[in-house]
Amino acid sequence: METIKFKTNINCGGCLKSVTPHLNELDSIESWKVDIENPNKILEVEVEGDENEVIKAVVKAGFEIERV
Amino acid sequence: MDANVKDADKAIIKESYGVLGMTCASCAVSLESYLKPNEGIQEVSVNYPNKSVEIVYNQDAVTLNHIKNRAQEIGYEILTGDKNEQQEAIEQAEDNRLKKLRSKLTVAAALSTPVFIMAMFFMGQIPYENWIMMVLSAPVLFWSGSEFFVNAWKKLQRFSSNMDTLVALSTGVAFVFSLFNTIYPQFFLNHDITPHVYYESAVIIVTLILLGRYMEERAKGKTSSAIKKLMGLQPKEVVVFRNGEEISVPLSDVLKGDLILLRPGDKVPVDGKVKSGESYIDESMITGEPIPVNKVKGEEVFAGTVNQKGSLKLLARKVGGETLLAQIIQLVKSAQASKPPIQKLVDKVAGVFVPVVVGLALLTFFLWFFLGPEPSITYAFLTLITVLIIACPCALGLATPTALMVGIGKGAEQGILIKDAQALEVAHKTNALVLDKTGTITEGKPEVTDTYWKSDTSKKLFQDILLSVESNSEHPLAHAIVQYLKEAKSKPVDISNFESITGQGAKAKYEGEWFFIGNEELVRDNEIGFSSKLKSQSDTLTQEAKTVVLFADHKEVLGVIAIADKIKDSSKQAITSLKRIGLEIHMLTGDNQQTAKAIAEQVGIDHYKAQVKPAEKGEFITALQYKGKVVAMAGDGINDSNALAQADIGIAMGSGTDIAMESAGITLMHSDLQQITRAITLSKATIRTIRQNLFWAFIYNVIAIPVAAGALFPLFGFLLNPMIAGAAMAMSSVSVVTNSLRLSRSSFG
Repeated sequence: METIKFKTNINCGGCLKSVTPHLNELDSIESWKVDIENPNKILEVEVEGDENEVIKAVVKAGFEIERV
Repeated sequence: MDANVKDADKAIIKESYGVLGMTCASCAVSLESYLKPNEGIQEVSVNYPNKSVEIVYNQDAVTLNHIKNRAQEIGYEILTGDKNEQQEAIEQAEDNRLKKLRSKLTVAAALSTPVFIMAMFFMGQIPYENWIMMVLSAPVLFWSGSEFFVNAWKKLQRFSSNMDTLVALSTGVAFVFSLFNTIYPQFFLNHDITPHVYYESAVIIVTLILLGRYMEERAKGKTSSAIKKLMGLQPKEVVVFRNGEEISVPLSDVLKGDLILLRPGDKVPVDGKVKSGESYIDESMITGEPIPVNKVKGEEVFAGTVNQKGSLKLLARKVGGETLLAQIIQLVKSAQASKPPIQKLVDKVAGVFVPVVVGLALLTFFLWFFLGPEPSITYAFLTLITVLIIACPCALGLATPTALMVGIGKGAEQGILIKDAQALEVAHKTNALVLDKTGTITEGKPEVTDTYWKSDTSKKLFQDILLSVESNSEHPLAHAIVQYLKEAKSKPVDISNFESITGQGAKAKYEGEWFFIGNEELVRDNEIGFSSKLKSQSDTLTQEAKTVVLFADHKEVLGVIAIADKIKDSSKQAITSLKRIGLEIHMLTGDNQQTAKAIAEQVGIDHYKAQVKPAEKGEFITALQYKGKVVAMAGDGINDSNALAQADIGIAMGSGTDIAMESAGITLMHSDLQQITRAITLSKATIRTIRQNLFWAFIYNVIAIPVAAGALFPLFGFLLNPMIAGAAMAMSSVSVVTNSLRLSRSSFG
């Protein structure tokens, strides 16, 4: 289990709603949260396995994401 | 909706809709990019400041509803017209109909009472009495009774007739004739004939028939509240993980893809799958099976089921109207809506009676015209009219509802609650009965049925240890054993090191020695001895489709306990007597083949089907109906509700779920199958009473028809007058009501 941080454009509560099902669906994730107060909108994920799955899921939901 | 433009290619639609839930520009981009890859969608452009979305889509490839659902998956609501509003409008209309009927009845009763009193007791004593009665009668006939005229007209256009035709014909003719005599009494006076008026006869008929309709409308099954019962099965608040935090939200805010925390005892709010954790879930309301099911990661759970003692994290897959539970309710509703109303006996009788009466009236006309005294044309018209006036019995509208009301009351006394009067009208025709197994034929909860012990001397101690270990267990069967042992007056003893073994059972230490409780696998894995005597007893129990629990120390098996869903004491006898009255009996169950066979054999059912899904139960009923059977269905679970609604007569168990009772026309309060025989007997008695009532309603008027036609005129110079009409009215009403009350004194069953 490792904690990985990503920079995203998940700006607000509405964005969070849209990204939620995609992240919840991933079996590799134990928990996740986005700091929308942070200008870089940091997504923090506790992941076990492939971190690319997280990136794919967020992109599918229509957001930008990159590893920090 | 801002625009509705169809391209040259008709399948392509370009339309704008309002969107709820977007709170920033990123949301807009997210919605766009989420919808775009869907098949059939060509362009999506979200206008964030306007909170709207313009979609270009191919309506052959994708429905608007699908697009709407996709958007909902990520938390946005696309505003299209809503179906729920239509449903509510229908319910509202039904409600209004009853209210309107009540006000029509009130007006009719209020105005006909003075007309009746004037005509019966003060005739010839009040100045302008005919004018007063005319003014009072007009609203009764043409406002309160308007539906008779409308329906009669509709029927006439198809050259058929029913009760409405008779009422409209008779009261309409009576009013017009009376009106003529009120305005122009000289016409008949000039011919030495008394110009009678029949206002009271017309208004009393309308009032009593409206009263009957109102009683019937009230006794009719309400179909709309099943959805409200459904709400009771769902929790109001749900704990979800949002952005890494546990928060409590209202159920309506739960979205597809939400991660939900399910605590012990919680109701499952949505259809979904287990993401983590392990627990037993009571699914009896959906599957009908009483033993809770173990759920681990990846397994499906359904809204409305109840979590037992563990905690689970669930991923919401289907929410709101998409859940299995909501779909079952939908099936119930459509089954209820598609049920054709049965043709009422009274309409059948009237359908024959009307042409006969019209024929008689015409015959009378011609007889008087050619054979009667002068002025023959006047006499011919007069007799034609009076025949039509007397033709409609006052008690016509009371014949069916009074019998039904008494029948329903009689049923209630015996614990048979009849919600839908129609069920009482068709139950006597039943020739096939479909029974659910669990909770209908059986008790619906697991109980200890047999126990065998290695030695009788240490039985007491074994039971005490068993009680202590099982008290610690969360396994659903443990509860049945604890219950049984408590009744057997066992006392718990001190045990230690309790440990449950997944999929096998549990173990614990008593006075330094390990004791094991569980299935055969547990015995095998721990290399515990199993004497051939106990083993064969255990095998026999398994063949009887009972669940066997073994009790052992580290050396050998000490006891065998069988648990099963027991057959109700009365079931076998009830099924025998139902067969005797000629019913073809079927059993349906979601349970396995072996259990189904064992139960069917024990109660004497020849036709049974195992592993039946809820929707299949309804299909089974339809198939029987297609073969021309009148089908009754008895059940208790939500899984039975579709079949209960589909059947000609749905019979719910009082111990069952609310939704089953809501779907069925009849509920048996004692959940005893013997009541079904009684319900059928009651139905027969009620139908017999309705037939007798119709006879009594018509007989006086039929006798009066020859008088109206002038049969007594050559002898006594006697034609129909309001006194004869009044007497027929009173006699028919009294006879019908008395005859209905007679039903309540009859004993049967």
